[in-house]
Amino acid sequence: MTNIENKIFSSYQRDSQLYDEIFDEEGAIKQVYQKLFNLYGEHSIEDYVKLNSKAKSSFFNQGITFQVYGDKETKEKIFPFDLFPRIIDPEEWEIIEKGSIQRSKALNLFLWDIYHDKNIIRDGIVPMDLISSSANYLDQMNGVDPPGGIYNHISGIDVIKHKDGKYYVLEDNIRCPSGVSYVICNRTALKRALFGVFNHYQTYSVTNYAENLLDLLESVKPQGVDIPNCVVITPGMYNSAFYEHSYLAKTMGVELVEGRDLFVENDFVYMKTIKGPVKVDIIYRRIDDQFLDPLEFKSDSAIGVPGLFAAYKKGNVTLANAPGTGVADDKAVYTYMPQIIKYYLDEEPILNNVHTYHCSRPEELKYVLDHIHELVIKPVDEAGGYGISIGNRLSTSEIELVKEQIIESPRKYVAQPIMSLSVHPTYIDETEEFEQRHVDLRTFTVLGKDKEFVLKGGLTRVALQKGNLIVNSSQGGGSKDTWVLKNI
Amino acid sequence: MLARVANNLFWMGRYIERSEHIARYLNVNYFSSLDAPNQLSQSRQFVLRSMLFMVGDPELDDDKHLLEEHVLYKIGVDHDTPYSIINNVKLARENANSARDLISTELYEAINKFYHFILNYDPAIFVKNGLHDFTLHITEMTDILRGKIRGTLLHDPVYAIIMLGINMERATQVIRIINAKYNDALNSQGGYGDKFSKSFEWTTLLKCAESYDMMRRHYKKTPTSVSTLEFLILNPNCPRSIMNSLNQVYRHIKVLDTTTNYNKNATAFLIGKVRSEIQYKHIEEIECNIQAFIENILNNLSEISLKMEKEFFNY
Repeated sequence: MTNIENKIFSSYQRDSQLYDEIFDEEGAIKQVYQKLFNLYGEHSIEDYVKLNSKAKSSFFNQGITFQVYGDKETKEKIFPFDLFPRIIDPEEWEIIEKGSIQRSKALNLFLWDIYHDKNIIRDGIVPMDLISSSANYLDQMNGVDPPGGIYNHISGIDVIKHKDGKYYVLEDNIRCPSGVSYVICNRTALKRALFGVFNHYQTYSVTNYAENLLDLLESVKPQGVDIPNCVVITPGMYNSAFYEHSYLAKTMGVELVEGRDLFVENDFVYMKTIKGPVKVDIIYRRIDDQFLDPLEFKSDSAIGVPGLFAAYKKGNVTLANAPGTGVADDKAVYTYMPQIIKYYLDEEPILNNVHTYHCSRPEELKYVLDHIHELVIKPVDEAGGYGISIGNRLSTSEIELVKEQIIESPRKYVAQPIMSLSVHPTYIDETEEFEQRHVDLRTFTVLGKDKEFVLKGGLTRVALQKGNLIVNSSQGGGSKDTWVLKNI
Repeated sequence: MLARVANNLFWMGRYIERSEHIARYLNVNYFSSLDAPNQLSQSRQFVLRSMLFMVGDPELDDDKHLLEEHVLYKIGVDHDTPYSIINNVKLARENANSARDLISTELYEAINKFYHFILNYDPAIFVKNGLHDFTLHITEMTDILRGKIRGTLLHDPVYAIIMLGINMERATQVIRIINAKYNDALNSQGGYGDKFSKSFEWTTLLKCAESYDMMRRHYKKTPTSVSTLEFLILNPNCPRSIMNSLNQVYRHIKVLDTTTNYNKNATAFLIGKVRSEIQYKHIEEIECNIQAFIENILNNLSEISLKMEKEFFNY
């Protein structure tokens, strides 16, 4: 077998219960990874350790770091990055890309509907309760027409590959999905460390995201504006995603503003420049709904812009994503996605949904309570991997505790079968070896007026702890460069 | 450009320039004192006091014995001293951070590396035997930064604002250094052969402003009080001179303010006025009352800064 000759993979342990992205069931290297496998095999593990630290310092010097607060000086750490890339062949990518567009479009139509006529509820496809009890439904958005008819300009759809080799969607993120800058940085870091490997594969570039984003945002400019002025608004440089905000502004060539740089006069939005006020037409906001406008939402928000929502309602400014999109990336709405896609697009879902049990339904609640050990329990309105319980990891007393929580507020929880995320060989610092780690993939879809764009790549997130299924960076996840091939 | 961001870029330029002058001042004074021709200039106490004087924190108690390691630590790497080099670089980086979308990747990476170099420098080594290495690195890295500013940024208002910051700070620091060394020259006179006008401190002053070689080339004579001051204040061809700094400030403010109308309230007008005053001064006028001249320049510079803030950085 090849992996015996390969120095770097000689100690790779394969769990045959798991779906390995690069080895098949017999342990043979998959064809698409063959060249990469050989190229990496030319290095010894010592070389690899060196390359790894080179890549790390690349991140460090680029300032792609997050802060760890200590008593004297805040230390900076980089997000863990793995040098062994993930490859997606053209055939598989087509499914992911089409599926992501389909979902984003369906969610957009769903949002329009529930903030206008609510036909989908009237037709009995989804229950009223789903919306009325959602914390993210914004009454203020009722009857508001967003410019260009787009709510979720940017969607981050998290997909995984299950044991059966099929892609499943785990989550749709349509509030302020983040991570796209890491896609590009991962590519940069990999190129700096191992540029040679790119000669052997025809990989799509990922650097065209910003230009497409700007193009699509400009397609939904407010009516009557000729050449729109677009800005990115950030909570500020101490926000953990500030690097991404500045990256997006820089690569789109637009201003990066904070709330205090903007003001509203006669329902138009202006920014304060060295030459006086300049009108702003499109705002890519990286601030949560509740902080956007202290006059309309949280009144103590110091990072928002007073009067912004009034300007938005008048149609004088585009907000991307629109306020109130959070109602549709609720995990309870997720479970209705097949029906939602069918209802608005009259299509079958291209990407699978994981079967979901609603604890709000008595018969499903009973099933969940009886089968907790084989289910993942998720709160419907949490992001970032918080509050998730994985049934087969819980002790008896923990199971009892989870049960109590569910019974107390069933609407708050959904349950899904434990999905087996595929694994990818990942270099582990402690053992200085490649080991199997679970991965997922976040894709980035942008909707504009009558056009859309999917970034050919995406963020492959890795759960760095052995056996861990939660890949979020807030939970100690790392990432990999992701190659979408033009051809094999 | 956003007014807030413009302000940050202006200060980024200032902090970069400031860290360089402090670092060089430490280096030059310390090492030239080691073999200085007279006893006082050789005295470690004298040098340490001069350093504190330059950063604006003079030791007022004449009898106090200063500890070398304390003073170096305080000025170099102390997080708790607002004027320390490490804090200047930290602030430069923080200001760069907030304008990251406007400056080049190359410039940002260089600033970031600079910051990490200082952050990771072992303070114990610095105060014991790292002074030369540390300060040399800083002056080299600020040169790299200036190169990146010049070579990787579009020469547009962003560039103009950074250059305004750099040159305003250069004028300020050079005049402060002149002040400090003038003070040293006064204090060290008295003994045989230590005449004020031929003091050893003038050479040190020129080296602090990295202008010694240039000066020698220009005058071909040992520096005296008059020639040194003339060179560092009035010579428009010396890149570190007050005159050149103000010329640069004027040049860059005209990028931001393109009006040609007479407007006595504009920053550009004030800069032009201050610049012309110096342009048509001769050194004898200045030399007879150098203290008053220094104070006047410092006042003018801070007036320009305030005006700039009102006109451009209002947010």
